[in-house]
Amino acid sequence: MPLSDEEIIARLEELGKRVAEQLLKGIPPYLEIPVRTLKNTIWDEKNKILRLGPAKARREYLDVKSAKKFMQTLLMLSLIIMARREKDYPTIRDLYYMGKHTITYIDVYGRKRQEETWDDQRESNSVIEDIEVATGILREEMGIMHDAKGKIVGNIVVRSKGYLIDCSKMGSGAYAIPPNPDRLEIVKVEADYVLVIEKDAIFERLNEEEFWKRENCLLVTGKGQPDRSTRRMVRRLWEEFGLPVYVLTDADPYGWYIYSVYRSGSISLSYESEKLACPEARFIGVTTSDIKRYNIPRNYIIAATDRDLKRATELMKYPWFKSDAWQYELKLFLKKKEKIEIEALSGHGFKFLSYTYIPEKIEKKLWII
Amino acid sequence: MTILDEILALEEYKGLSPAEFFYRNREIAGFSNPTRALYQTVRELVENSLDATEMFGILPDIYVEVEEINPKENVVSVRVRDNGIGVPPEEAPNVFGRVFYGSKYKLRQSRGIFGLGVKMAVLYAQMTTGKPCEIRTATPKSDYIYSFKILIDISKNKPIIVSKRKEKNTKRWHGTDVRLILEGNWSGSKNRIAEYIKRTAMIAPYANITFRGPGVELIFKRVTKKLPEPAETGKPHPKGVDIELLKQLISGFKNLKEDPPTLQEFLVTCFDSVGTITARRFLEWAGFDPNVRIDKLRIRDLEKLARRMKEYNEWRRPRATPLSPLGEDLLMKGVKEILKAEFVTAVTRKPASYGGHPFIVEVALAWGGEIKPMERPLLLRFANKIPLLYDEGADVSRKVVDNIDWNQYKVKMPAPLAVVTHICSTKVPFKGVGKEAIADVPEIEKEIENAIKEAARRLRRYLSKKEKEMEVKVKYVTITKYADEVARALAIITKRDKEIYLKAIERLVETRILKRGARIKARVRRR
Repeated sequence: MPLSDEEIIARLEELGKRVAEQLLKGIPPYLEIPVRTLKNTIWDEKNKILRLGPAKARREYLDVKSAKKFMQTLLMLSLIIMARREKDYPTIRDLYYMGKHTITYIDVYGRKRQEETWDDQRESNSVIEDIEVATGILREEMGIMHDAKGKIVGNIVVRSKGYLIDCSKMGSGAYAIPPNPDRLEIVKVEADYVLVIEKDAIFERLNEEEFWKRENCLLVTGKGQPDRSTRRMVRRLWEEFGLPVYVLTDADPYGWYIYSVYRSGSISLSYESEKLACPEARFIGVTTSDIKRYNIPRNYIIAATDRDLKRATELMKYPWFKSDAWQYELKLFLKKKEKIEIEALSGHGFKFLSYTYIPEKIEKKLWII
Repeated sequence: MTILDEILALEEYKGLSPAEFFYRNREIAGFSNPTRALYQTVRELVENSLDATEMFGILPDIYVEVEEINPKENVVSVRVRDNGIGVPPEEAPNVFGRVFYGSKYKLRQSRGIFGLGVKMAVLYAQMTTGKPCEIRTATPKSDYIYSFKILIDISKNKPIIVSKRKEKNTKRWHGTDVRLILEGNWSGSKNRIAEYIKRTAMIAPYANITFRGPGVELIFKRVTKKLPEPAETGKPHPKGVDIELLKQLISGFKNLKEDPPTLQEFLVTCFDSVGTITARRFLEWAGFDPNVRIDKLRIRDLEKLARRMKEYNEWRRPRATPLSPLGEDLLMKGVKEILKAEFVTAVTRKPASYGGHPFIVEVALAWGGEIKPMERPLLLRFANKIPLLYDEGADVSRKVVDNIDWNQYKVKMPAPLAVVTHICSTKVPFKGVGKEAIADVPEIEKEIENAIKEAARRLRRYLSKKEKEMEVKVKYVTITKYADEVARALAIITKRDKEIYLKAIERLVETRILKRGARIKARVRRR
């Protein structure tokens, strides 16, 4: 059950009221915010997702180092509460501009100085995430919009704001996943699985071929590193409709990390893994071993850079890449020092990907987890 | 060999008048060109004036004036007037007109040695313009003020009195007023002279010094009425002897013929820090009969005695009574007044010695205020209360200052830091004849280093307190600058009035920041 606006407002206000009470009692006020770093990220082996650890940081007003963040957090909290009370749906950029004030003050040398409440959107985004972890409410639930870039196409019908949308009737286009997929009602799904594709161009190609119709599946892309709404949509399809999820990316450490974000969650947003991750998502490729298995022509093979190798070494250490299959693939990559893109499969003709590679991987269970 | 030795030797063997010697070797004494000569003339007269006042317990009032008489031909006049003990009329011609005549040749710290420099200035003026030296002087309680115009007969080393007058001393004035007309380059030496006067005021904070010259006027009022303890006349230390000194001391005994003292008596009477026991032990060690009469000693014996005295390591340290350091308090006052620094600390070390010569090192550190930040600390050097302006790079103080790791003392270069060093000694070990740089004598170097480090530790304490105060200030500014945003956000969130939160923040700042800051401040003041 999604939270009602009243509940959301009450929980947000609660955070601010604690500070107000401390202040009125003459206690140096502080906010307690869970720490969002790799160190405070825990791999939940049983559920195969990343979770936020127990570490919390005190953000104290009277501490010179945290005073500004303290102010920024309260400022952002007040903006979000105001928007909720007014039933407005600001974007994260709107919030950045609304809270950007110039503070004029006299510095320690008696000079008149100016300072911005925040200098760039990274700072305001960061406090939004802090408020999410401190309250346990996702920003989508707070009605905060962002640049949603996910797309979906296939035999699925959703209801949004009362309108029925049939995603099998989008022609050459696709349905743009809205910022808060929880507000979508999924009316009907007739598909055997979900295929998540890293790259938009490949998604467009498969859509043009009507791959989803032929294979009876849903196609999703997050255009590279997926945003939260794309992941939430995929999660709902897996959780609520029991659809297996397959992921297709380039054969390089960046593509593989994108797979792991769909499956386990990301380090910076580990606090919302439970709502976003698909622990059973299956990786169908492209893998390093595919280069040999599918006899990829030499002209499609790219030499790995030092950065690629470094990233692969890091992946090997993450607990969510500790499976034998993944360790084998990563080791092979470090040994061969070769990577390829999804497009390399076209070395055997343009139909090879959709008629041979994907169906074979799924039918013969050649995926890895 | 010192210049003095050279002159004495010349006088003795070649029969050359000392005045003539100076006349021929004027560059040695700092009169090499019109720029140096003008600076040197001012220096000699000012130092004479200071010695004539403070050494006799008089708070100095010194007036210095330079006038351009004929700028095209570089003719200037220098006038220096003091309120010192003056010169008795019968002595005056010799004091100003005869080289090696004076009262200062005693073993104690003073600025000059028997007024050589003043006579050099008189000679130089006479040489370049032909004008006599003009003197007005009165001793304390004198009924008359005497005026002279004096030239020097160079070949005979005798004063020529051009004119002599006396007037009623109705105002009971005492002091000396000297005027010289000489060839001097004012524009070239102006800055150097001004710097010299400024630094003199720093090392003599008990003096009123007025300096006037074309386009310049500097007035330094005394900041204290306390004078440093004047130096007492001392005896030479046995470690610092030579044959000439032994000869002089022996010839000083009045009834040498009738009742010559024994060698042991001679040592006890004539030397510093030598008692009967010390003398006997030394003589035994050196292989001398303590009861031999000194008139029986031959040159060969004197050579051996001087050598053994130098070699002996069991002498007691020379006493520091012939020294007159400024003291921490006066040094601090002078430095603070002239440098307008935010923080000044001074250290006067205990007396030490090198080669039989007592010395005392004093150091002041000045930080902040009007001192400009520099890559290396600004160094101001003094020796026997004389500012040293030239050859800084060769001076032992520069070496010590540059070798100190200032980071250890919370000083981050470039820093607004000045180091003042003052070395007092009966014999300052100058490098070369310029007398502007002090040589790297290990004992002195060590003392300077210890003094600077001690002062630097005090500076560090000050800076860390200041740092803590700064932390409080930064905290205050940081918290209050966000107060409005915090109060407004809380007002929105809780739907209450912003003012109550502003007031609460104000109270918090008051109790948690300002009161703590006040405690730190109080602690700083107590130190």
